[in-house]
Amino acid sequence: MRRLTRYGVIGVIVAAGMLLAGCTAGSSTTTSSGSGTSSAKAATNSTLTISNENGALWTCGFSPLNTSDTLLSVGFIYEPLVYVNPLQNGKTTPMLATAWKWGTGNKSLTFTIRQGVKWSDGTPMTAADVAYTFNLIKKYPALDLTGVWSVLSGVTTSGNTVTMNFSTTAVPYFYYIADQTPIVPEHIWSKMSNPQTDPNKNPVGTGPYLMSKCTPQNITYTANPHYWQPGEPKIAKIQYPAYTSNNTANDDLANGNAQWGAQYIPSIQTFYTSKSPDYHYWFPPTVNVSLVPNLTNSLLSNVKVREAMSYAINRSQVSGIGESGYEPPANQAGIVTPTFNALLNKPALATWGSSYDPTKAKALLESAGYHMGSDGVMTNAAGQQLKFTVINIGDYSDWVASMQVIQQDLKAIGIQITPNNLSNTDFDADLFYGKYQLAYYDQQTFGPSAYYELNNWLNSANTAPVGKSAASNYERYSNKATDALLDQYAATADPAQQAAIMNQIQEAMLRDVPIIPVVEAVDWYQYDTGAFSGWPTPGDPYAQPSAYAFPDNEQVLLHLAPK
Amino acid sequence: MAMPVSGVPTQTPAAPAPAGSGHHVLARIGHAVRSNHKATVGTVLLLIFILIALFPGVIAHDSPTQDAYAPNLGISTAHLLGTNHYGQDLFSQLVYGTRNVLIIAFVVGLATTGIAVLIGVAAAYLGGGWDGTLNVLTDVLLVIPLFPLLIIIAAYAHGGTTLVLIAAITLTSWSYTARQLRAQALTLRNRDFLAAARVRGERQLYIIMVEVIPTMTSLIVASFLTNALYAVLFASSLQFIGLGDPNTVSWGTTLYWAENNAALQTGEPLWAVAPGACIAVLGAAFALLNYAFDEIGNPALRPVRKPRSKRA
Amino acid sequence: MRYALRRLGFFILTLWVAITLNFLLPRLMPGNPALAMMAKFHNQGVTPQTLHTLEILFGVNSHQSLIGQYFGYLHQIVTFNFGTSLDEYPASVTSVIGSAIWWTVGLVGITTVLAFILGTGLGIVSAWRRGGKLDSIVPPTFVITSAIPYFWVAMVLVLIFALTLHWFPSQGGYYVTTDTPGFNLTFFQDVVNHAFLPAFALLITTIGTWILTMRNTMITTLAEDYVRMARAKGLPSWRIMLDYAARNAILPNLTGFAMSLGFVVSGAILIEYVFNYPGVGYMLLQAVSGEDYPLMQGLFLLITVTVLFAILLADILTAILDPRTRAAR
Repeated sequence: MRRLTRYGVIGVIVAAGMLLAGCTAGSSTTTSSGSGTSSAKAATNSTLTISNENGALWTCGFSPLNTSDTLLSVGFIYEPLVYVNPLQNGKTTPMLATAWKWGTGNKSLTFTIRQGVKWSDGTPMTAADVAYTFNLIKKYPALDLTGVWSVLSGVTTSGNTVTMNFSTTAVPYFYYIADQTPIVPEHIWSKMSNPQTDPNKNPVGTGPYLMSKCTPQNITYTANPHYWQPGEPKIAKIQYPAYTSNNTANDDLANGNAQWGAQYIPSIQTFYTSKSPDYHYWFPPTVNVSLVPNLTNSLLSNVKVREAMSYAINRSQVSGIGESGYEPPANQAGIVTPTFNALLNKPALATWGSSYDPTKAKALLESAGYHMGSDGVMTNAAGQQLKFTVINIGDYSDWVASMQVIQQDLKAIGIQITPNNLSNTDFDADLFYGKYQLAYYDQQTFGPSAYYELNNWLNSANTAPVGKSAASNYERYSNKATDALLDQYAATADPAQQAAIMNQIQEAMLRDVPIIPVVEAVDWYQYDTGAFSGWPTPGDPYAQPSAYAFPDNEQVLLHLAPK
Repeated sequence: MAMPVSGVPTQTPAAPAPAGSGHHVLARIGHAVRSNHKATVGTVLLLIFILIALFPGVIAHDSPTQDAYAPNLGISTAHLLGTNHYGQDLFSQLVYGTRNVLIIAFVVGLATTGIAVLIGVAAAYLGGGWDGTLNVLTDVLLVIPLFPLLIIIAAYAHGGTTLVLIAAITLTSWSYTARQLRAQALTLRNRDFLAAARVRGERQLYIIMVEVIPTMTSLIVASFLTNALYAVLFASSLQFIGLGDPNTVSWGTTLYWAENNAALQTGEPLWAVAPGACIAVLGAAFALLNYAFDEIGNPALRPVRKPRSKRA
Repeated sequence: MRYALRRLGFFILTLWVAITLNFLLPRLMPGNPALAMMAKFHNQGVTPQTLHTLEILFGVNSHQSLIGQYFGYLHQIVTFNFGTSLDEYPASVTSVIGSAIWWTVGLVGITTVLAFILGTGLGIVSAWRRGGKLDSIVPPTFVITSAIPYFWVAMVLVLIFALTLHWFPSQGGYYVTTDTPGFNLTFFQDVVNHAFLPAFALLITTIGTWILTMRNTMITTLAEDYVRMARAKGLPSWRIMLDYAARNAILPNLTGFAMSLGFVVSGAILIEYVFNYPGVGYMLLQAVSGEDYPLMQGLFLLITVTVLFAILLADILTAILDPRTRAAR
């Protein structure tokens, strides 16, 4: 009897303790999740929360010239000279510059700087700051993120104008100079001992927001009361949490804790849009994700083999299965649609025919001297088989899944490819140095025209022999005629001439098949219309809608208003 | 990962009485398995998995990798566990994945136990400086936390193929069983039957191979089971967090894809739950067998039939 | 005294092995860290020219010999300089780890203590009543649970309690946008709320071994002569159970406690991963996927040193409490 009592007492105490813990946790669930969601919802009237998973905590550095911090500082705090919209064929919006003009022969570019703009510490912004910014990144090449000094020879000011002089004609660089270079204050940056490494923890800019608080987990921005556009910005506060996992970031979008998403969400209907009628998404295509052949490979150097590969891939299936339908199929001309629809060389594509034609693919291989071997792999008379390895980034599970589909498609016409999933570092090393047979990659160079991406892929100035690091032309494509076309494009500012040149470049893509575009990479974008209005939509694509696209994010913030 | 189930290493497990030659020992084991309920269940489960691994095509009629069907189908007679986000049949994936898992379990189990026997028995017999050095080596590896070490190795290897996983796990997990085997070999060293063999003039190696090791069979088998269990858990965990090869068909990699596609949040819970359940069942089979061998080896642990007269 | 010195010596030796291992492993893997950083920003639109920029910044070319590097590395370790994190550049590794360590200490520490107490208690009771109902259910159940992968338990708990029943949040340590860390009640409630499921998962998976090892050693102890003597003397059962048997059985269990820390650590890593709980284990996996090698090394050393230290403490404690260990050696 005594035993029982003692055990009983102990047991009851333990059980009671657990129950109590469970109850308080349970009740604090209702109160804190209740207060959590209600305070989140109440705050949405004046607070915008961004959901952009960055994979790491914030370091609380805000240098707009440091790649790790650009997405947190440019657009919120720092502004460019002109906003150029890549989704509307380069439509311009004057920001810190009110006017600009090309000089004779497009060898100089003069900006008129806006008057009356103040830095957030009250000092007036002048043309001197603009010239200072450009000379700063000339002095410290590590800060020249877009490489503008590869084409500039000098920057001078006169009154309230700034003139850029070019060493070589490079009209497309307008985008990098005017849109992609944030202007920094001379009176602060000239005092830094090392602008390259200075974290710039208390950023001073001309933009619509101030950085008011930063912890590794969250950044809070508040509206700049002295912003030069009257009545802007309309949202008082922005929260930018540091998400380290995709799932958490997606969850916050789904339960309304965040309203502006830049996320890849699997099964987006079930996960996100079904949770509220106010939840929407739009993924505007930007650049091609391509199968990249190493043109120095003896078998791949035969254009018929590459053509066959292009015809054999069922791009709709890759898009549907590998990318959940988020990334639309690409075309062999390399023009991303519908973003650059106007540039599409329709007659040339009509001659190319249907993008998925396995019969034609097989016929091409046969005309190149290959026959189907007993093991299901195409072999030629010399006994060489069409077997290749393809390198891929193992971390990108959607690319790995896409490659599985491509593998099956190519197997159907007798080409055997073996995926080799590498880490980012290894992949880049192999790709840049040409140590691969096939690769799967996209050029992260989006601009107001298809030229930017195609120039990177096709211009022989961007390539290097195998064993040396190529800047962007990894497939080692070199064609003097194509180079001439690209250089002509860079020399003219006339849209009609540019369109004509783009047509010829597309013909080169179809004739030479230097890369095989498969699907189109997109900007990730989710938005909650119940909380805010003024979002970019397919019908009103006034800016690139992703929170990580700068300085487009500023345009979005200036259009948004609380509901 | 399970912590060692079969008792605490500092105490020498009760050594069974010397059995004589090998086949008697096997017969004893067979009888023990049949009479012990846990061992029976464990053996049956293990045999089922082995059969599935050997003849996957008989049980699952679909290819595990072909994106052949409509995605996110529910359970039906055509798809016993439905299809996943990519349109692959989940049941086939699990069936074909069994082979990879069992290969890892058996290869690592055997290799690790082999190394452990070698080092443990050598340490016990060579004595002196050798014993000291091997001991230190074993103890050092014993206390270094294995899973973080495996993560680091796999990370530097940029994600391992099955071979890399097998090698990494084998090279790091032999220490626990080596220690146990050494402890038992030490207790046997001075037993009479071995003294008799030495007097007979048998060579040291003969004594070790023919007299000592067969006596330690039940412990060696238990070690194999422990190591196989850890191999399965470690390997699937590494594959789950993405350090395996995502293109192989295995339970761990299926879990990796499920996690990557937020299977739990998007209404495809079976994709995440089913492979984990398979790992759990296989693990349970090994653990049950291990537990049973513990009881066989240490009679004090055997289940007590309810005594007719109550104790105090 | 000799015993304590020997254990200390062993501790230092193992520490040295771990540090050297930490140094050697990455040397097998050459690579340009700037490439890793660039790839991480792949989706944010970084141009190839930026690669060159990053190379300048990170200064990848080292001209020292391996031995030279090793002594430099040792010097750094001794001065607690673990370098700069790549992911969180330019934050130092120590500051980054500092932010995560308390989450893991809280989660793992409390859960382990709970598991130890509850598990040992259940083991004692189960062994005492051999052949009883508890004894026939407990061992097989926990043998099976000890073989279940930790992350699967976590996933099932998330599915049932967070996603279906909505009783608890499924991720994170606290609501970052609405709560500020500090000694206020809302923050504390939020932390407990978020910690409940991960702790429960860790508890379920680790408790089994305590129960089983305690039960096994208890059984062996109960067969000892002095226990029979105590029974013959007519002492009350609970006293024999606790003062005679459990007290002696618990000591080998204590050694097991220290050794199993390695497993608790692995469990914590996986559970933190599933719950995105911002602790040290989760940070390790983030560092791995971000190829942040300095951070990875720092975390590995931290985990190893903690485990070694705990084992050293347990050994010394055992030596103090149990004369048998001192004599045996």
